[in-house]
Amino acid sequence: MVAEGVVHVIDDDADVRQSLAFLLSAAGLAVRVHDSALAFLRTVPEINGGCVVTDIRMPGMDGLELQRRLGELKIRLPVVVMTGHGDVPLAVEAMKAGAVDFIEKPFDDEAMLSAIRAALARHAQDSDRSARTAAIQERIMRLSDREREVMDRLVAGKPNKLIAYELGISPRTVEVYRANVMTKMQADSLSELVRMALIEGGAQ
Amino acid sequence: MVNLPLLSADGDVKWILHSLEAAPDDGRDRSAMALALDAAEARLRSILQTVPDAMIIIDDCGRIESLSTTAERLFGYPTAELAGRNVSQLMPSPDREQHDVYLRRYLATGERRIIGIGRIVVGQRKDGTTFPMHLTVGELRSAERHYFTGFIRDLTDQQLTETRLKELQSEVTHMSRYTALGEMASTLAHEINQPLTAISNYLRGSQRLLDRIEGESTPMLRDALGKAADQALRAGHIIRRLREFVARGESERRIENLTRLIEDASTLALVGAREAGISVSFQFDPNADLVLADRIQIQQVLVNLIRNAMEVMIETPNDRRLEIATAAGASDLVEVSVADTGSGLAPEVASQLFQPFVTTKRKGMGLGLSICRTIVEAHGGKIWVEDRPGGGTVFRFTLRGAQIEEAEHGR
Repeated sequence: MVAEGVVHVIDDDADVRQSLAFLLSAAGLAVRVHDSALAFLRTVPEINGGCVVTDIRMPGMDGLELQRRLGELKIRLPVVVMTGHGDVPLAVEAMKAGAVDFIEKPFDDEAMLSAIRAALARHAQDSDRSARTAAIQERIMRLSDREREVMDRLVAGKPNKLIAYELGISPRTVEVYRANVMTKMQADSLSELVRMALIEGGAQ
Repeated sequence: MVNLPLLSADGDVKWILHSLEAAPDDGRDRSAMALALDAAEARLRSILQTVPDAMIIIDDCGRIESLSTTAERLFGYPTAELAGRNVSQLMPSPDREQHDVYLRRYLATGERRIIGIGRIVVGQRKDGTTFPMHLTVGELRSAERHYFTGFIRDLTDQQLTETRLKELQSEVTHMSRYTALGEMASTLAHEINQPLTAISNYLRGSQRLLDRIEGESTPMLRDALGKAADQALRAGHIIRRLREFVARGESERRIENLTRLIEDASTLALVGAREAGISVSFQFDPNADLVLADRIQIQQVLVNLIRNAMEVMIETPNDRRLEIATAAGASDLVEVSVADTGSGLAPEVASQLFQPFVTTKRKGMGLGLSICRTIVEAHGGKIWVEDRPGGGTVFRFTLRGAQIEEAEHGR
């Protein structure tokens, strides 16, 4: 049945929760909403398959803690993390804790749907997922050596000045490389660049 | 019983117990009187030496009879140099010339202007420097003699402290507003992103549902919903940039086409220009086409400058012309200018125009230009204002150009 494909939406903000359920239903997906991580965990025994889309910052148990708890319970549900803050360290932590993807609010519907499809496909064919990884890898291939060096350091959270020092070039030149990296990777923000690097890294 | 000072020829102060002098033959022992006299004199000398305020005693002609140790230090004269001199020596003009007149007027009319009231006046030291002081004057009358006692408090430190305190207060107010702005941006970002997410989700969902509905108007509806969702995302982008910018001061820069960037910003900013009778002209320098910039932020700067220019021109009956131009500047800087034919700026306004919370508008918060400056400076440029030849104002800012060869280094 559809139980396999159920998307569990967890957000403490009722409007975000309901609007996302509306969007996903309109896109033909089965959805269940939960107003907290704990409320979701109570329904876990009934769950088999599907994926989780959760907000990171919530009162009570937050998204990162939920990921850890699922790990402890040996429940292998793919998790997509949403954040209204978009800070890079938080996103990196979520990805390291095993999140499939992280999405900044407000998001483009296609970005959310492709992340969810990749999550749902995790147990199955992994075709969407590998297609996504392949697209990112293809972009990385187009970077020059210098650009790749700059990107690795940006993803590690280093500021322009430090990168300039490490590579022995001027901060001004780093900025130009950085601009090129962002354009070639089609990244809108630094956190998006980090996200792509982590997805690509996780695939290797 | 009143103590009065008199000056002996050698400059020493002799204190005389007037009540005793006034009643010399009441049958008391002269030596007892002399003893009492000495004791009173010693008492007064010790008071003059230790009284923390400066104290000066003058006679009814303004001649200095005696002064306290603090007064000596304050004015920089030893007693010997001042005794018998006119007290006006301790004041700058015009009091210096007028003091004798003040005294005579008081003695003639009895009208009190400072006695028993106290005032802040200016004193002059031996080296000619002046200082603010608080002066209280007391009056002594006895027999035929008439004396005035002045108590002086030096206000130099106090005034410095007050001025500094006021400066600090305004700096702190400014800073706390500025910090509050950063915090506000961060909190607002999160709070506003939630409803924006809901808006965009509902719009995109509706758009998908419309796919399954036949009808004449559905393509138009779909299109409108899509555009509305795009705007919600755009608002999210602006907030994200603002927050990142406030948090790190470093924003995401790309190599951008300046002409296109300006055209996009103008489309948004020039809404209502034609109705207001404003004619707009662009002049793009082909050598200044590529810049290293955060598109959204620089568009915010442009929108701000253009809207300001329009507002100013609407208030004047002049010919309303808006001129936007680019020019390649020195050391690969690119200059952008926005000129209006408004009423121009008063010089005192121009000097602090880019400070936060300074505004000439009745309803403005005074943040627009300060944010412009922060953005431009973070881009390694400068923003300034000039008078437009022929009337009006020109705002100019610079951005760093992105030369082709630099862009190619990255290949």
